[in-house]
Amino acid sequence: MASSQPFPSGPPRPRPGFSPNPNPNPNPSAAADAIQNLQIGRPPPPSAVPGVAAAPPFTSPASRPGPPPAATSLSRPGHPPFASRPPPSSAPITSNGPPAFGLGAPRFPPPPPASQQMPPVSGPATIRAASPSAAPPQAQVARSFPGSPPSAHPPSSQPFMGPPPSSQPFMSPQLSSQPLMGPLSSRPFGGPPSSQPFGGPPSSRPFGGPPSSQPFGGPSSQPFGGLPASQPFSGLPASQPFSGLPASQPFSGPPASQPFSGPPASQPYTAPPMPFPGPPTSSSPFGTPSWQSQAQQGVPSMVSMQAPPRMFGMPPHTPGQTMASVPPVMGHSPLAGHQVSTPSKIDPNQIPRPVPSTSVVLFETRQGNQANIPPPATSDFIVKDNGNCSPRLMRCTMNQIPCTGDLLSTSSMPLALMVQPFALPHPSEEPIQVVDFGESGPLRCSRCKGYVNPFMRFVDQGRHFTCNLCGFTNETPRDYYCNLGPDGRRRDADERPELCRGTVEFVATKEYMVRDPMPAVFFFIIDVTMNAIQTGATAAACTAVSQALAELPEGPRTMVGVATFDSSIHFYNLKRASQQPLMLIVPDIQDVYTPLHTDLIVQLTECRQNLEQLLDSIPNMFENNRVTESAFGAAIKAGFLAMKPTGGKLLVFQSVLPSVGIGSLSSREAEGRTNISSGDKEAHKLLQPADKTLKTMAIEFAEYQVCVDIFLTTQTFVDIASISVVPRTTGGQVYYYYPFSAVSDTAKLYNDLRWNISRPQGFEAVMRVRCSQGLQVQEYSGNFCKRIPTDIDLPAIDCDKTIMVTFKHDDKFQEGSECGFQCALLYTTVYGQRRIRIINLSLPCTSMLSNLFRSADLDTQFACFLKQAANGVPTSPLSQVRDQITNLCINILHSYRKYCATVSSSGQLILPEALKLLPLYTLALVKSIGLRNDGRLDDRSYWISHVASLSISLAIPLVYPRMISIHDLASKEEDGSLLSATIPLSSEHINEDGIYLLENGEDGLIYVANMVNSDILQQLFGVSSADGIPTQLVLQQFDNDLSKKLNDVVNEIRRQRCSYLRLRLCRKGDPSGMFFFPYMVEDKAPGGLSYVEFLVHVHRQIQTKMA
Amino acid sequence: MSEFLDLESQDGVRMTWNIFPGTKQDAVGCVIPTAAIYTPLKPIPNTPVLPYAPLRCRMCRSILNPFSIVDYIAKIWICPFCFQRNHFPPHYSSISEDNLPAELFPQYTTIEYESTPDAGPAVPPVFLFVVDTCMIEEEIGFLKSSLAQAVELLPEKSLVGLITFGTYVQVHELGFGQVPKSYVFKGSKEVTKEQILEQMCFFTRKPKPSVGVIAGSRDGLSAESIARFLLPASECEFVLDSLLEELQKDPWPVPSDQRASRCTSTALSIAASLLGVCVPGSGARIMAFVGGPSTEGPGSIVSKNLSEPIRSHKDLEKGSAPLYNKAVKFYEGLSKQLVHQGHVLDLFACALDQVGVAELKVAVERSGGIVVLTESFGHSVFKDSLRHIFQSSDYDLGLSFNGIFEVNCSKDVKVQGILGPCASLEKKGPLCSETAVGQGNTSAWKLCGLDKKTSLCLVFDIARKDGPEAIGQPTSNQFYFQFLTYYQHNDGHMRLRTTTLSRRWVAGPGSIQDLIAGFDQEAAAAVMARLVSFKMEMEADFDPIRWLDRSLIRLCSKFGDYQKDSPSSFSLSPRLSIFPQFMFHLRRSQFVQVFNNSPDETAYYRMILNRENVANSVVMIQPSLISYSFQSDPEPALLDVTAIAADRILLLDSYFIVVVFHGASIAQWRNAGYQNQAEHQPFAQLLQAPRDDADAIAKERFPVPRLVICDQYGSQARFLLAKLNPSVTYNSDNPPAPGGDVIFTDDVSFQVFLDHLQRLAVQ
Repeated sequence: MASSQPFPSGPPRPRPGFSPNPNPNPNPSAAADAIQNLQIGRPPPPSAVPGVAAAPPFTSPASRPGPPPAATSLSRPGHPPFASRPPPSSAPITSNGPPAFGLGAPRFPPPPPASQQMPPVSGPATIRAASPSAAPPQAQVARSFPGSPPSAHPPSSQPFMGPPPSSQPFMSPQLSSQPLMGPLSSRPFGGPPSSQPFGGPPSSRPFGGPPSSQPFGGPSSQPFGGLPASQPFSGLPASQPFSGLPASQPFSGPPASQPFSGPPASQPYTAPPMPFPGPPTSSSPFGTPSWQSQAQQGVPSMVSMQAPPRMFGMPPHTPGQTMASVPPVMGHSPLAGHQVSTPSKIDPNQIPRPVPSTSVVLFETRQGNQANIPPPATSDFIVKDNGNCSPRLMRCTMNQIPCTGDLLSTSSMPLALMVQPFALPHPSEEPIQVVDFGESGPLRCSRCKGYVNPFMRFVDQGRHFTCNLCGFTNETPRDYYCNLGPDGRRRDADERPELCRGTVEFVATKEYMVRDPMPAVFFFIIDVTMNAIQTGATAAACTAVSQALAELPEGPRTMVGVATFDSSIHFYNLKRASQQPLMLIVPDIQDVYTPLHTDLIVQLTECRQNLEQLLDSIPNMFENNRVTESAFGAAIKAGFLAMKPTGGKLLVFQSVLPSVGIGSLSSREAEGRTNISSGDKEAHKLLQPADKTLKTMAIEFAEYQVCVDIFLTTQTFVDIASISVVPRTTGGQVYYYYPFSAVSDTAKLYNDLRWNISRPQGFEAVMRVRCSQGLQVQEYSGNFCKRIPTDIDLPAIDCDKTIMVTFKHDDKFQEGSECGFQCALLYTTVYGQRRIRIINLSLPCTSMLSNLFRSADLDTQFACFLKQAANGVPTSPLSQVRDQITNLCINILHSYRKYCATVSSSGQLILPEALKLLPLYTLALVKSIGLRNDGRLDDRSYWISHVASLSISLAIPLVYPRMISIHDLASKEEDGSLLSATIPLSSEHINEDGIYLLENGEDGLIYVANMVNSDILQQLFGVSSADGIPTQLVLQQFDNDLSKKLNDVVNEIRRQRCSYLRLRLCRKGDPSGMFFFPYMVEDKAPGGLSYVEFLVHVHRQIQTKMA
Repeated sequence: MSEFLDLESQDGVRMTWNIFPGTKQDAVGCVIPTAAIYTPLKPIPNTPVLPYAPLRCRMCRSILNPFSIVDYIAKIWICPFCFQRNHFPPHYSSISEDNLPAELFPQYTTIEYESTPDAGPAVPPVFLFVVDTCMIEEEIGFLKSSLAQAVELLPEKSLVGLITFGTYVQVHELGFGQVPKSYVFKGSKEVTKEQILEQMCFFTRKPKPSVGVIAGSRDGLSAESIARFLLPASECEFVLDSLLEELQKDPWPVPSDQRASRCTSTALSIAASLLGVCVPGSGARIMAFVGGPSTEGPGSIVSKNLSEPIRSHKDLEKGSAPLYNKAVKFYEGLSKQLVHQGHVLDLFACALDQVGVAELKVAVERSGGIVVLTESFGHSVFKDSLRHIFQSSDYDLGLSFNGIFEVNCSKDVKVQGILGPCASLEKKGPLCSETAVGQGNTSAWKLCGLDKKTSLCLVFDIARKDGPEAIGQPTSNQFYFQFLTYYQHNDGHMRLRTTTLSRRWVAGPGSIQDLIAGFDQEAAAAVMARLVSFKMEMEADFDPIRWLDRSLIRLCSKFGDYQKDSPSSFSLSPRLSIFPQFMFHLRRSQFVQVFNNSPDETAYYRMILNRENVANSVVMIQPSLISYSFQSDPEPALLDVTAIAADRILLLDSYFIVVVFHGASIAQWRNAGYQNQAEHQPFAQLLQAPRDDADAIAKERFPVPRLVICDQYGSQARFLLAKLNPSVTYNSDNPPAPGGDVIFTDDVSFQVFLDHLQRLAVQ
């Protein structure tokens, strides 16, 4: 239905509304230039070649305009056959050239025809369809291609487009097809020739672009509207995603790039999906395999997808069909595969991309005594704890545990838990229950000390219980005894949270305390060097602290203190009733000490006024400070000494490189640059801490339960690699505001600080993860201090911190048994209660590799890779890290290909359903700040430190940010799905008249293209031209719908991410615009492949391995 | 005697031998060294202050003086020291017998020159308060109020700074307006001057010079960075007041079995460095107020553990005071620094415990500082002394700074050194004797701090050999001495005082009577006291009693009038007659009998002795006793237990303590309140008279003496009894007179002492 609606409505609305009119024109020409250039690189798909010529010009225009939608709609109804063919064709296209040869006959053969057919029908046609009426002419005008392309376009467009508007659909298709055929045919067969005629450049556009791009193209989806788009994607992606593309080819062809421009393509595809079902079969003859895959995926997957409430475009789990059906495939012609030169036919619009979900899912952690597979970490869900913990708290890279280590290593997948013990629950979830066992303390296994949990089996009438972790049978304490019911469970199991819930908290007894629970101590240290004063960082910090005081926990247990520092450390005696605070300076920064024994840290209730006054006056007091040296190390040491008796949180605001005193650093960046330029292979050493001083200090801090958070409000290099060791070891984190702007960052600084101190958190924590016999903990990774092998010490732990725990086998599991994981976190609440939070997860064991792949958890695995990559960056050359990450991806896919994907031939890139986004994420990771070559040292170090404690749900956007258009927010639905219409991270989706918001959970980039309607600018920013927008952007809310919506969107993002986005303006044609493009991870960049190229690369690697 | 006083009032000089033994051998035979006690800034009425620069001999740099021989015709003067002939400069051209410049007037042997105004502006004095906070609240309260008073009395222009210390040292930045601000230094760690420069941000506004000495505004420090810590009193009075008002006990906890952590040495070192950085070479005083033993830092005198007692003389003698030498060494270093910078360290030690005066002595004394020792900041000795320093009155101290003292002598006289509050400048020359006493081996000394009463004891050496060529030279039986004192007058200007002396010498047999005639027994006693103190401190295994006795015996043998082996025939010239008595009391004094005192007290007494003039020194050695009764006017009484009578009031002045002692009857009357009855006015007057005299003594003395008012048989009476000659003791044959008293001691009485002396002298 949707489709049908779109059509009618679609055409009129989108096209006109969209800017079809304007777009077409500008697009064609401008797009032609810009897009071609840009996209050209990407859309290498040779497939384009055939019909392409025409396509490119059109595609771009077409894609944008609403027409595509129309086309799609049209295509679906009327053209199914065509469409089906086309799509196949698209796949074939990849094989195009090759297919002709006949080797690939089965597959390829189809392609050619398909391609021919395709172009006409689906690909170009549809796309253009939109513009057809307009487009054709334009297209013609556009270039020399006109001749050939035009023909192609018109036809194609007409077919699709045409139909809608004119209702000639059929005709047009035919026409188009014919014309296309002509050219196409010639092309397909003589791909090269065709291209030749067109001429290098032109050919490139036409070829690549149309076919492949069209089908997949995101744009089309957009135009169509969320729904249609999603459908097409889901369908397509799942099944076809990769289908097309002979990897090698794409690369070869610069031309290909255009094709990808895909916008148009998407439309076609969308259309195809429908047809596919049919076509596939029909098409089978051609490229059975590829098609089948597509078809199957498309259809079945779609179904399956919908069934499980997944948000992702790609149905993660295809039902029963583990292998064959599911595997998204990259149709790969054997030949093509081998021949680099052969153009690929990957359709950029069909390759898998994340699709955000809009609806909330209810997730029961266990059903029928079986663990359920949790929804994606990035989706919105409500957990019902039925024995397993909420996946927010702890989730595993795979939801079935391999019985043996061999199986695990065969799969190449990591086995790890991501533990986020204080993760924020969904508001509708039940709170974690607190259980008080009285003086005896919680019941524990007497051998392994595991805590009682729902998986401990009570036997012998309940007189004994068997530990699910170590298997030991314990006697049930008399006062805990209870009869068993007929089902073998204790009769009271449902009344006792510890026996029926995956997560509980026990009240800790004296046994768990070495001292009284510590008070909540917050000590603020503020940089007052000349630089900090002059940039406004000091004032911003003071304001932030002053305001944040209100957010501190109430009560007498909350203690605060303040110090400032430049080349010496200034403490303030706050406990002077009605007197001004006394400033005490510690000038000895080699051997620091606290100037007072008491009164540096006092109860908040006693000193609030004093403190506020002081914070008020600090910027003035140091107004004329001329000290440029910073004794950061000494300052935190001094702060630590002041807190030593209690422990607590040390919040440091630092603006310049620590240059004097204990732990001082040198400006390594300068050295680094020279070294890098001279090709120093040790460049990565600059990402390691400069020396051990800070590490040693940090370990001491941790020992006394002092957690350090550092707010870097800087405009220079501050050596985060060295500094970050402190927060990292003490359970804190680094906040980085670079380049700091008092105008735009003050609010974020305050919000970060406020969240830092008000978020759910615990102090003086110790954590240990236990697991069933058969596995053992291999390593913990995150922000903590480890003094003994089994436990990690967390001076502070909060809801944002995630700890990765990796496991290795030390024994086998029985098939059918379950493997239990238990995380025990002993901590003190901000109100001074000592608690033990127990988080349990029990997963079935399997000896089937396919089960592993089916139950693989992409988000968790990727977070795991991310962290591994981050850990690797400081110790290995970047290129090596990138290769490692790419190889991880390849190995997993190879394993799947080799052992599970029996159906497909070697010519296809087959992706396990659950991991189909892995290549995309891997590519994005390789291009991320941390792994790029061109980053600043500090940016990379910050990235590394940020990743170390990052949660799964933030790991994905960090690497693969979310991009939405905001110039058209007003026209979007208001059902809360404003955020759902994400745009693939490819510059071909960026319109010249658009404004886009890209956010990765940290930064929000607002990209303003250079032909934005001044009305929109006026509404959003209160200025009439893009040049008028201040670079130091502060988002204001104006009294208009668009502005309100933008604010709503930003606020919603902030809420989701628990982070106050650092908004940054990126203006096209301005240096600031350059910040934006590195995020376009699907683009071909100097340092990396385009998405399609990458898929091809992966495929080739797998093939090599297979061979 | 009176002629010596006249000489003193003219030049401020007392000499042991006013007629010099003419040869080295004679001098050795005289037993008592040839020495002079000179009070450089003694107020001498009518001394002119000349507003021009002095005229110097081009050979020996001595200054034109009345003893110079002037050839008015040739406009030439001959230096009496080196006999160099000097031409008068043009501006002396009008000189003639009738037109003499003041420095040639015979009566102006002591005269002052003041630098001309263009030599620079007046330099305000600097006062840096260094205040201990490791005290009970009550003591802090006392100290606060005294300091607040002192702040009010500070000269307006003077610069003030404040450092407080306890476990840590806090240097208060008085010039920081917005909040009270202080730099905190760890007490256990030494801080160098360079660190001070760096850590207290003296170079934030301009780059630190890479080479050269950095100090003061002349050498690159901006005035404003100095003005952060040292401000004119008038500008920072409010800040200082409020800081003092808020002064609190050191907040660091002290376990009950431990002493407070008090880093006196670090605080002083920081103070010295701060002054060294800010105002090197110009007059400044560090005034340290210390309320207990130093337990932290390099100058600590005792460990924190209370189970370890503070060192006693016995510990020092046995070498079982482990921290002592280290501390002394530290303070020696500090004293060098202070001397180098020209700054003074004053010490106000007010505690029941020892605070480490013995260790600090070297720094205080070499820098010419003031020292006050008492048991509490609430005690009048402290309060009044502090007030005395700042109060301007007839008795003000005339605090001066940054003095340099130089000596010129005739070539046959050498200088062994100076015993007194000064430091050698190591300026060696022909003038220096081979043997050094006190601050020797130099002809120039630094007196960082000096006042009207500062008295130096110069010990001379007669180098003239006994030889034919030496005898018979005409004009050469005169020795000449010239004392030059440059100093920063308390008005801020530099002055030079010159005192030129001449003394006749005699040699060979038959000169004894001449020598006796020139013997000043009071000066000799003072010199012997300083000498014996010095030797006790410097010479290991020194036996002061034996040394004093032998000196006295030898002196009596040489100058006494007797028949050999006939004690009864022994008699001494009046010029010498009191000397044995001085020696008797000196033997019993706190200077020699140290074991009744703590090392701190001993150090304190000696420091005062070393800076006082002859008259006061004599009082310290042999207290004066005045008797008040209805029978007579107040009259001096014998310092003897027999002076005690029931109907007498005695006033004992032992310099450090003034005792008003009421006889038993007087006390009874007083207790009965007769003095309040109109008809007993005389009694009231009798009671009041000694009090008035005691007040008069206190008023002119610094440190202010401790006033003890006691009654016969009362416990406080011990202050009197300890000083009296024990002629009547518990085991004497002769019972005391009615109303008299006995002393419970086994010490010998003066009579016994004298008997022995006579017996030994005639052998």
